[in-house]
Amino acid sequence: MGLIVDHIGVFGSGLRVSAEISACTFVLAALLGAALAVCQISPVLPLRVFSRLYVGGVRSIPLLVLLTLFVFGLPEIGVVYSLQWTAVTAMGLYWAAFFCEVLRAGVRAVPRGQIEAARALGLGFGQTLRLVVLPQAARSIIQPAASLLIAVTLNSSLAAAVGVTQELTGQTELLDQQYAQPLLTFGAAALAYVTVALWVGWLAGALDRKLAVSR
Amino acid sequence: MTPLLAKGQSAVAGEVAGDRGTIPGPRPASAAPRRAKALLERLAGPDEGLFDPPGPRGRRRIAVASAVSLVILAALVWAVVHQFAAHGQLHAGQWRIFGQWPVIHYLLTALWATVRVTLVSGVIALPFGALLALARLSHTPLLRWPAAVYVEVLRAIPLLLLIYAFLLGLPNLGLHVPLFWQLVWPIVFTNTAVFAEIFRSGVRALPRGQTEAAQALGLSHWTTMRLVVLPQAIRQTAPALISQTVRLLKDSTLGYVVSFLELLNAAKVLGEYDHTVVQAYLVVALVYVVVNTALAATAGGVERRLGGAPSSAGRKSPG
Amino acid sequence: MKATASLPHTARHRALAAGALAVIALAATACSSSGTSAVPGGGGTKSAVVSHSDSVAALIAAEQPATDIKPESTAAKIKARGTLRVGGTQTAALFSLLDPTTGKVAGFDAAMSQLLAKYIIGRPSTRLVNVTAQTRESLLKSHQVDTVFATYTITPERTKQVAFAGPYYQDGLAIEVRKGTAGISSLADLNGKTVVTESGSTVPTAIKKAAPKAKIQLFDTNTECTQALSQHRADAYVLDQGILAGNAAGNKDLQVLAGTFTKEPYGIGLPLDQPDFREFVNTWLRKVEANGTWAKVWKATVGTEVPGAVPTPPAVG
Repeated sequence: MGLIVDHIGVFGSGLRVSAEISACTFVLAALLGAALAVCQISPVLPLRVFSRLYVGGVRSIPLLVLLTLFVFGLPEIGVVYSLQWTAVTAMGLYWAAFFCEVLRAGVRAVPRGQIEAARALGLGFGQTLRLVVLPQAARSIIQPAASLLIAVTLNSSLAAAVGVTQELTGQTELLDQQYAQPLLTFGAAALAYVTVALWVGWLAGALDRKLAVSR
Repeated sequence: MTPLLAKGQSAVAGEVAGDRGTIPGPRPASAAPRRAKALLERLAGPDEGLFDPPGPRGRRRIAVASAVSLVILAALVWAVVHQFAAHGQLHAGQWRIFGQWPVIHYLLTALWATVRVTLVSGVIALPFGALLALARLSHTPLLRWPAAVYVEVLRAIPLLLLIYAFLLGLPNLGLHVPLFWQLVWPIVFTNTAVFAEIFRSGVRALPRGQTEAAQALGLSHWTTMRLVVLPQAIRQTAPALISQTVRLLKDSTLGYVVSFLELLNAAKVLGEYDHTVVQAYLVVALVYVVVNTALAATAGGVERRLGGAPSSAGRKSPG
Repeated sequence: MKATASLPHTARHRALAAGALAVIALAATACSSSGTSAVPGGGGTKSAVVSHSDSVAALIAAEQPATDIKPESTAAKIKARGTLRVGGTQTAALFSLLDPTTGKVAGFDAAMSQLLAKYIIGRPSTRLVNVTAQTRESLLKSHQVDTVFATYTITPERTKQVAFAGPYYQDGLAIEVRKGTAGISSLADLNGKTVVTESGSTVPTAIKKAAPKAKIQLFDTNTECTQALSQHRADAYVLDQGILAGNAAGNKDLQVLAGTFTKEPYGIGLPLDQPDFREFVNTWLRKVEANGTWAKVWKATVGTEVPGAVPTPPAVG
């Protein structure tokens, strides 16, 4: 236990980097996921096909495979930037597929009659989406989106496998390497992850209760 | 969302699609492009009925948008391929190893390991998940509470932690489990909880009238479950069960923790052996896409045979 | 150094901190029912550890089985079982690298483990269990493997948990850079630089001591580390000299700086509670080092890519 207390700073800085990576990934995934979802409900056929294929394809690939491809593949096509941001790009593109699904499920949860009523009032595609669908969909996606954020956070540890050693799991790995105490070091890291996940889940629950409309 | 509403929705969707089909295009298309378009529309999936069937101006705008987006997408693909080629990554020598039978055999063996973990875990977790859901829905607190605790706790613990607990904790208790099961049991424990939740939400999404009707007929709680509720719930939740199975397959990549060699490890070994990391991972990524797509397609076929209408009931959040 | 490791993964939903105790308790009840033995994994694990080159095969054929195995000893139990369970890796070039085209694992560690198997059992029958930096100690403690041959550096922390026979090989950390890199000639020069190395190696500890301000990047395999260096993601690659020399031989853009900066004695990892087996393996090591087998193995494996004369093996014990 003394080992953990002695290196609490290491865990702290690791957790900060992990939080940074997770937050950036989540924002990127939200933006790209929204774009994908718009593509998928738009009347433009090529965009719909692209979005479907993208979501289907990306969801089938394990995240670690995608991360490795980006970290080692991008330099091969002449694109080199910092490892951390490369990892964020790959994870953002990965989670965008899931975010798109969350949004689509949200849109689907809006009663069809609402949409038909909007169209009957003469609202166009953009107006229907902006004024009728999205405000209602937003409320029903809080819980799934929170689950997604938790998934993003827990999986940010995979960045350690592609060299982003500054984050929590990478730092834990270094400690374990030095002291050969995997049960203790990884146990502490796991506790940190579980705490974060708990906290996000609780926050989402509170937000959900505040905004939820019963239908 | 109730299934009733879902049925209403699909009817509307069909109507919209039908509308669009009957409105003649500006030019009657010949058979081949029409078939291509039908295929694309299948790929594109159902629309959400957010817009009216477009008029002439709308159609023109959509056509322009289609053309522009096609050009952009094509340019994107071309740029990536071109850059790859320019850096010699498409050179045949970089890929030759993947055409050799021993390497293909190696990949297939690894794939079989992945599939085995998926199948065994799925076959164990699915029925237990169903039982657990039943327990959680039962009126007996003695069944309900332990089931609820199990589900909530197991869904909250990262699978990796569970695998580590098996790997590092069990030997301390004097228990020795073969590597295969050191991977399978944690996956089973977690997925049982997830499957249980999927089943349960499927049951809860059923119209209450179904249960009430069964009770009115004098069926007991368990008979109602068995004859009325569960068959419908399983049909309802098929899409969620499928996507969870895909996730289960991806869970098997955690096998490296217990030194179980599956498909992802094969990519690592091949990349190390041939010094072609990108190629090895691209090939393995392709295998994952093919396998998971096949899995989804098979499951989709089964679902259609069961006659279940896709619905949002029981749809799980991703993760 | 070495033994691949990488890390976590996985998402579950909301989190409750119900703790590992509950998990382990659950695990315990479930596992007693799992009797079926399963051969681990696809790909490679089932394949015998067979060294690539003919000269290694000849050496194994020439190895004489032990005649003085005491009944009831650990070695006798392994002999009765008929296979030596070896913890190792499939991705360590020169030491233990799987050739997917043949399904055979080749290298110094692979050859040594086979020689030991021949010595104990009378035939080179081994089963390779893939280990990582996180798992090798626990696999030894739980007796899921008899030995670990995984370029496993003997460190004080590790000797508290497992026993080491040997050392059977001695290497030292060296620095590899892109050609034309100026200003790096020792570990201390790495301060402020980005250094790539394999996860599970002893390098981070050494670097933290010599250059506390260096940024450390961990990758799983040697090829990934080399690519990170070539792709300018890192300024230097620090690892055991033998492995780096092998890299530089195949890549004209890289060079290994002269000199080693630490001593890395590799040991054969053994369970702590079998002191008789440690003695047994040490006796065997002394024998193969004295009769020249060790030198021939080195020449046929590491020596194919590392220039220079055969080194003197480190003193056993």
